Amino acid sequence: MKKIMSVIVLAALIMCLASFSGAAFAADKKPVIGLVMKSLANEFFKAMEEGARKYEAAEGNFTLIPVGMNSETDIDTQINAMENFISQKVDMIILAPADSVGLVPSVKKAKDAGILVINFDVTLDKQALKDNGLPEDFLFVGPDNEEGSYLVGNFLGEKIGKGAKVIIIEGNPGADNAKQRKAGFMKSVSDYGFQLLDSTTAHWETEEANTLMTNLLTRFPDVQGVMCANDSMALGAVRAIEAAGKGGKIQVVGFDNIGACQDLIKEGKMLATVDQFGPEMVANAIKVGFRILGGEAISGWAKSPVEVVSIKNLK
Amino acid sequence: MMDTKKIAYFLLNEAGIGIILVLLCVLFSYFVPAFASMNNISNIFTQISINTVIAVGMTFVILLGGIDLSVGSVLALCSILAGLTITNKSLPVPLAIFLAVSVSIAAGIACGLFNGCVCERWNIHSFVVTLGMLNMARGAALQVSNSRTIFSFPKSFNVVGTYSIFGSLPVIFIMAVALVLIGHFVLKKTVFGRMIYAIGNNEEAVRLSGHNTKHYKIAAFAICGACVGVAAILYMLRLNIASPILGNGFELSAIAAVVIGGTSMNGGKGSMIGTLIGAAIIGVLNNGLLLLGMSDFARQIVTGAIIVIAVILDTYRAKLSLILS
Repeated sequence: MKKIMSVIVLAALIMCLASFSGAAFAADKKPVIGLVMKSLANEFFKAMEEGARKYEAAEGNFTLIPVGMNSETDIDTQINAMENFISQKVDMIILAPADSVGLVPSVKKAKDAGILVINFDVTLDKQALKDNGLPEDFLFVGPDNEEGSYLVGNFLGEKIGKGAKVIIIEGNPGADNAKQRKAGFMKSVSDYGFQLLDSTTAHWETEEANTLMTNLLTRFPDVQGVMCANDSMALGAVRAIEAAGKGGKIQVVGFDNIGACQDLIKEGKMLATVDQFGPEMVANAIKVGFRILGGEAISGWAKSPVEVVSIKNLK
Repeated sequence: MMDTKKIAYFLLNEAGIGIILVLLCVLFSYFVPAFASMNNISNIFTQISINTVIAVGMTFVILLGGIDLSVGSVLALCSILAGLTITNKSLPVPLAIFLAVSVSIAAGIACGLFNGCVCERWNIHSFVVTLGMLNMARGAALQVSNSRTIFSFPKSFNVVGTYSIFGSLPVIFIMAVALVLIGHFVLKKTVFGRMIYAIGNNEEAVRLSGHNTKHYKIAAFAICGACVGVAAILYMLRLNIASPILGNGFELSAIAAVVIGGTSMNGGKGSMIGTLIGAAIIGVLNNGLLLLGMSDFARQIVTGAIIVIAVILDTYRAKLSLILS
């Protein structure tokens, strides 16, 4: 009985492994592109992966190997993935770094091995680039997070007016996009003369944002607007406002344009969010990569668009 | 002399941790008037409900000297399965809600049974097995949901989440307290409960007296899983979404609540009421420190310090009650 069981388990394991690795063996003569992303548990990156796959299917002239990680801060897995791609001698690596500084040495290694690296979504640190002997204007394809949050912050300003009382719910302390989004919100705060009651983090998470917002409502019952650094936190904030019976009286804006928030916007429970077109961004990064492989010299910041999403442009 | 001993004994054993809770509440109400408002207390009730429910299950496991690290991930898996069921448009709403609740609890029990059976069959410490389950359940939740957040639950379901009785007793808190009371009854008044304490104190003695201790340990994990299933439903009631990434770190809050509540990590000692007070202390700290206007980082430091202090106090309590008894 035991033996039969172990044979079955072994067979199942081998089948699993075979089906997972099948994709990698299928690679033929087409150029191979390694795509290193952040957490695939995040809808934003999941959509990005799907976008990249769609682009691969549509173009048909390259093979894509996407790699995601378990959490947004898992730098180790990303460095391992970079090293694997270098030893596999892929033609191009598209990288959304989990850490602006930590991934720079891997980028240098890839470049030394003759592999083109395209940095997208989160920009690599300029000082670290310089220290590692890479050009400071290393090509970056990505959105202007600061611009995005500034736009949606201003959208909020138009709704609640100058001098209104607002709260900022920040992303992970230390994360670059969290810093940039906060900087954008702060620009709106000064442009509209908002009274900033508090600016504090909920670590990108819904549950934490819900608890935080509930408590902040006790402390600042007269708050008029809430700016959240991502949509997951906006979900929690909206629900807290609803639970306090202030639904519709306090305006919430977010960032990322996830499905659940589109729903809230349509129901009038949330004011707006920002779309940074993840799937298009990754396709664009691959496109730019091919242009460089074709001999073009491109560097600096290839900005990808950001757009405020509100009831006006949602069907 | 005897009387002071008796009083000290009572304070140490039954009320020890409750005194800290009362002290915290008094301090916060003194410094922040808004703290003691009906509205804020009601908020704290809501905020501690989910952790309390998980901690009830965790108490059973820890009383047996085990640990369950998988509760956060299993919670995500349960919520995803329940979310998919409840948003299934081909089912009538009441049936969908009923099925969602059943699916969530069943999935929790299944994960718990898996944990318990593997631990007992191969004599592996639950730390390792539940660490494995932590990854499996998270992966399964992401796989099943395709890492999407599930939303648009039926209106009648959403309304319950914000409903309060007498304006200040949230329904989800009442559910949590009911579970605490059931847990308390099971532990103190049933043979099953007494066996849990006995096994936690001296497993060998119980085994030699002719009882199969493995069954009790597996049952404890199943109970923990069931509680997680309930917690997943409370989560959906509270936030109106089901997400595959939720519950990160919930295991630590639940373990903290159980330990602050005076349950020994070595098993055999502790109580369900203590667990409720432990969860309340974490909730009150989180709420009160924010109302005080303390920064994120300072809040984290203080909350961590309180956990350590509570456990230090616990070692003294054990020693003192030995001397006094």
